[in-house]
Amino acid sequence: MIQLTNVSKIYPNGAKALVDISLKIDKGEFVFLVGPSGAGKSTLIRLLYREELPTRGQVIMNGKNLIRMRQREVPHLRRNIGVIFQDFRLLPNKTAYENVAFALEVIGVGNREVKMRTKRVLELVGLAHKEKCFPHELSGGEQQRIGIARAIANNPSLLVADEPTGNLDSDTAWEIMELLYNINRRGTTIVMATHAREIVEQMQKRVVTIEEGRVIRDLKQGAYGYGA
Amino acid sequence: MGMALKSLEYILREVGKSIRRNFWLSLASVLTVMVSMVILGGSVFFLLNATKLAADFESELEIAVFAQEDLSSSEVQALGERIKNLAGVADIEFVPKDQALREFAASMNYSSIVEDLGGINPFPDKYTVFVVDPKEVESVALAIEKLSGVDKVAYGKNIVEPLLKFTNWLRWVGTSVVVLFAAASLILISLNIKTNLFSRRKEIEIMKLVGASNSFIRWPFILEGMTLGLVGGLVAIFVVGLGYNWLAENIQATLTFMPVVNDVKLIGQVLGSMVLLSMAIGAAGSFISLRRFLKV
Repeated sequence: MIQLTNVSKIYPNGAKALVDISLKIDKGEFVFLVGPSGAGKSTLIRLLYREELPTRGQVIMNGKNLIRMRQREVPHLRRNIGVIFQDFRLLPNKTAYENVAFALEVIGVGNREVKMRTKRVLELVGLAHKEKCFPHELSGGEQQRIGIARAIANNPSLLVADEPTGNLDSDTAWEIMELLYNINRRGTTIVMATHAREIVEQMQKRVVTIEEGRVIRDLKQGAYGYGA
Repeated sequence: MGMALKSLEYILREVGKSIRRNFWLSLASVLTVMVSMVILGGSVFFLLNATKLAADFESELEIAVFAQEDLSSSEVQALGERIKNLAGVADIEFVPKDQALREFAASMNYSSIVEDLGGINPFPDKYTVFVVDPKEVESVALAIEKLSGVDKVAYGKNIVEPLLKFTNWLRWVGTSVVVLFAAASLILISLNIKTNLFSRRKEIEIMKLVGASNSFIRWPFILEGMTLGLVGGLVAIFVVGLGYNWLAENIQATLTFMPVVNDVKLIGQVLGSMVLLSMAIGAAGSFISLRRFLKV
């Protein structure tokens, strides 16, 4: 599903974020990206939804070359990718319901369809009863659930998450992981960058360890693999 | 088609919602456009009047050509033809000697002068010559002087140059005022648009993230810019129109010698252009400022 070939990313200031990375991720996989801060995890994530382009190398997704992709094709790529952030990135002046519905409205989904899908994903993340709340009225975990609901509302085949539990306490983090686990079981590929050692070790999923922009370990059912 | 209608519906709803939710920001935009347009419109009327004043002064520049006394009437007519054919001459007016005498009599309030002079008319036949370009008064006058049958040529030799200097200065000041205020208006409005967009960059960021196409992101902002421009422009022409009307009436009442632009059609055109311009600035400003946000 995703194929990175000899990908390097050097920022204009000369910082080498990624060095010659090759990585293949299959459909339906759950992949953790681990490594110290600044190792290049976030850069790798941003390459996947084409927020950034690599300096060298190829990124192929579902048979499409992201580097050669024209600017006006990017929106269509993104409709098939859900993105989750550490800081949730909800719109503060919109309710939980509106935050999710907004993501569907702006890609031209019809009114009835928007209502139906929004209700469904809010139920799926267990927050149907808080749809009228504004983000500041929700806990961190609840806000992240809304973030996830928004990310999966369009039923994407890939979900990328950059430290989705980074701002949450451990109990709440586990609730979020359970949700992601269930989403993955329904067939959605998940790539998640994280620092949460305990989560990685217990989930028993594929773990790709990045250090100084290079993949130094790639374990099929791995444990948290650096600094140990 | 269904999709396009859905999009249109979304866009219109979004414009309405956005103006309501960002009421104070929208009000600030309307006021910014209004103030800018009042300043700009005011300066355009200043320019129009400065130009009219300059043209008025310049139209006073004319050349008086006196024919030699011994010419027959057909020779005088032929002279007129030759003057008319000279380069730089816009129009000529024939003042026969009888008319000159009558006019002189009338101006001196001396109606019996014709009889008193015993049938002798000391006035020569005269042509009043208007030039195309006031700067060419002198060269045209010299050219006329060389024609046969011309006795004397008179024009305001000493006032031509200072007058032209003054009218050029008047136009220059008028134009500078317009350019200056147009630039100030643009800066004001674009700053306002940037503030608007900046306060909503999160919204734009998320729209991009979930795969909204650029046109989908752009249209609500452009329409919003146009709407706010329209409202601001309408208020502005109201202010400028009434203000100018008041000012023009007062000037005409007190400074009667001042020419004032009161061509209703021209004023209407200026005011109409102001509304169109403020709509265009609103739309173009949103479009240009958005480009920075839409770049990946």
